[in-house]
Amino acid sequence: MAAFTVIDHTELGAAAATWTSATIPSSYDHLYLTISARGALAGTNWYEYVDVQFNGDTGTNYSSTGLRGQASAGAWQTSGVDGLDRVLLINADGSTASTFGNASIWIPNYANTANFKQVVARFATEGDTASNGEWILGIGAGLWSSTAAITSITIDPQNGDLMQYSTFTLYGVTGA
Amino acid sequence: MAVIEAIATTYLEADAASVTFSSIPATYEHLQLRINARSVDTTQTTGAFIYLRFNGVSSAVYSRHFMTGYGTAEAGGGTAADSYIKPGVVNTALDDAAAYSGLVVDILDYAEDGNKNTTVMSHFGSGLGYNIVGLFSSMWDSTDDVTQIALTTYDDFARGSEFTLYGLKSS
Repeated sequence: MAAFTVIDHTELGAAAATWTSATIPSSYDHLYLTISARGALAGTNWYEYVDVQFNGDTGTNYSSTGLRGQASAGAWQTSGVDGLDRVLLINADGSTASTFGNASIWIPNYANTANFKQVVARFATEGDTASNGEWILGIGAGLWSSTAAITSITIDPQNGDLMQYSTFTLYGVTGA
Repeated sequence: MAVIEAIATTYLEADAASVTFSSIPATYEHLQLRINARSVDTTQTTGAFIYLRFNGVSSAVYSRHFMTGYGTAEAGGGTAADSYIKPGVVNTALDDAAAYSGLVVDILDYAEDGNKNTTVMSHFGSGLGYNIVGLFSSMWDSTDDVTQIALTTYDDFARGSEFTLYGLKSS
């Protein structure tokens, strides 16, 4: 049996407010999501905050913590909010043209119904600049305080649309 | 059909100045490069950078940024308009002879011709003396498909270094 199976792959043909995955079966052990995305937030905004939500839950059931590097390293966190908003950032439309933020997210044991769900992520918002804040990279961790099996994932920029050509690939990962 | 396929592996039977993956097909969604390497250099006391270029382009069209932990010190910074990407640091001949550093380099949507600049996200660890760990990101200011990846380091890559390029499919 293949260790990785593609559950969903989406490339946005036009700007969209959010991306939501196809229905996720419970037959895998873990989930792995790759994101290459750019937010429509323009002006002098180089990066965009993103909410990661599960099963359409917009309640205050999420906590997340990130460690980011720009000119120096620093930590940030939120809790009791309506999405995981410190696990990744994406490029905003004020950043270098044609540049999309990269992220990869692991969601282990997503289908169990006994435990809350945790995620770990890496991300980078690149640009042709060395100025503080115009590029950020980091790692993030998050907790969804729910014992429900994850059946869908939503990526929701906080201040605008996801731009055309943003891509999302969701893999199901199976152990031996 | 496997979703992740090994496109090519290079294992160095002797020291080598560079490693190149050529004719990379555009049939995957993402690329991932896994490296276990060291340099023969004897001058770099905090490890030797790896240098990466796409498609043989050596002009100043690369940007790179980093966050590292070195011993108990952390650091962050970046450089714009450089002539290469630095995806990480590897052990050198100043360190234990059996110490080879590990790097994982992700290149998402590498074949999005015309739509996206190529961006790279990598992390690495180099123990046994240097104790350095880092998260790097980089950009090639070009919307061309990636068809070639060339890697060099400070001095040569040491015998026993291994490089594998994987392709990740999206269907």
